[in-house]
Amino acid sequence: MNMTLYAKMLKVHAKSISSYAIGSALYLLLIIGIYPSIADAPGLNDLMESMPESFLAAFGMEGGFQHVSDFIAGEYYGLLYVVILSIFCLMTASQLMARHIDRGSMAYILATPNSRKKIALTQAIVLITGLLIIGITTALAGVIGTEVLIEDKPFEAMTFLNVNLVGILLFYVISGYSFLFSSLLNDERQALGISGLLTIVFYGMDLIGKMSDKFDWMVHLSLFSTFRPVEIARGSVDVWPMITFLFLLGTALYAVAILVFSKRDLPL
Amino acid sequence: MIELNGLTKQFSNGKGIFDVTFSISKGEVFGFLGPNGAGKSTTIRHLMGFMKPSKGSAAIDGMDTWKDAAKIQEKIGYLPGEISFLDGMDGMAFLNLVGGMRGMKQTAYRDELIHRLQFDVKTPIRKMSKGMKQKVGIVAAFMHEPEVIILDEPTSGLDPLMQRIFIEIVMEQKEKGTTFLMSSHSFSEIERTCDRAAIIKDGKIVVVENIHDLQQKQRRLFDVTFASEEEAIRIKQSSLDVVSVTDNRAEIAVQGDYNQFIRALGDFQVRNMDIHEQNLEEVFLNYYNREADPS
Repeated sequence: MNMTLYAKMLKVHAKSISSYAIGSALYLLLIIGIYPSIADAPGLNDLMESMPESFLAAFGMEGGFQHVSDFIAGEYYGLLYVVILSIFCLMTASQLMARHIDRGSMAYILATPNSRKKIALTQAIVLITGLLIIGITTALAGVIGTEVLIEDKPFEAMTFLNVNLVGILLFYVISGYSFLFSSLLNDERQALGISGLLTIVFYGMDLIGKMSDKFDWMVHLSLFSTFRPVEIARGSVDVWPMITFLFLLGTALYAVAILVFSKRDLPL
Repeated sequence: MIELNGLTKQFSNGKGIFDVTFSISKGEVFGFLGPNGAGKSTTIRHLMGFMKPSKGSAAIDGMDTWKDAAKIQEKIGYLPGEISFLDGMDGMAFLNLVGGMRGMKQTAYRDELIHRLQFDVKTPIRKMSKGMKQKVGIVAAFMHEPEVIILDEPTSGLDPLMQRIFIEIVMEQKEKGTTFLMSSHSFSEIERTCDRAAIIKDGKIVVVENIHDLQQKQRRLFDVTFASEEEAIRIKQSSLDVVSVTDNRAEIAVQGDYNQFIRALGDFQVRNMDIHEQNLEEVFLNYYNREADPS
């Protein structure tokens, strides 16, 4: 990788990385902040029981919330975390490759004595760095936030960190295919559109599959089936198979992206 | 130094470049002429290693432009035809980025170029005018004093004063033995600097020739205003190629023999004389024939 390019690209994207990281951390703190009032509310578990089973299952809320980590996992990692990180991965991936190919600025980057593989690898590492910064900031906010804001509530730090680890790896894969489309296509909006559509389809399949027994086969086709924040937070699933699977898949996607970019014609 | 051997690239729409062959020796300034869409930029993209030829090959300093693309870049400076920089930085940050990616240590020549081209490097790129971006691009192409400089339409967007400074810089580098390939759609733009030129039409090389021979072959239109209408009509009887006459003005085409033109006009009362701006097809009618549409 090329350090000059890496430093410059990180600087260009620093603003968006830090705003996603701060946004995600603040939102998580807000969720943690409202936990005590919800946990002490007498009618909550009754209310949860009155809701349709399938609806609760779709958002991983069946069985009520016993711990603060379950609550955070269900309320934050189940939806908003996914939305925030998806937007970051899709946008940044399309900006790092397809935008430069689309606008022609890639010509300047390639008109230096650096191989295309090296350039693509550098851009991939910029994307992964951003993802890690946002993921780790969020995890830290969760650990510190529960420590400061919650008293006498059981908090499973280990399983909470597992939620974050699997979450980051899920987005390692999502950023991986976004980066692949970004390296493969000449049009920034097309790259963004295709990877966005794929993400929405995956998410939709997971949601429908969980809500309806008839379509439960869909769950297994969706990437999101690897990320069950509430179950991971409760410690009821073994996370290592998912970690291995996501890591290998993500790495393969990035490798293909770099290879494709080094072999193709560029309209610069 | 630059060697193109039957370079062919056909796109899915049937367009492309076909069997492009020419070579440029070390220290030569070579012009690459053609109207928009003739295949100039496509050829240059192959030289830069952005595209893989369907057939044939190109080499710079003996290295294949596709396989050794990264290595060749050590010797090349490049100005793209469409200037588009990276967002979110100013001119200096951009030059530092490109310089840093080259591992460039010396900045004296870069600073000299910035001074001579007179622009403010601290301007954010998105606020730059086209001419200013062109200057930044020229600095990026020249600053590391490469052995080969490839320029795609280098003077577009530059005012006449800057064009002159640009030509000075090219001539200085030529003195040092730098090889140039410069594309353009206008002959006048390259005739002052180039030794030889190739003309490309619809993806095929029409001719590769010495610039003086090309100057002989170019056809120029002069707008001559005479003292009276009678004289304008009388000029038709002369040996000159009179294209049209309106009132006391005549349009006269001259190809090569300027002395004859001047002698013939000596018998007339000439009030004013002007040269028509012409596009490449009009200048080199004999190469483009009549089939090229005037676009």
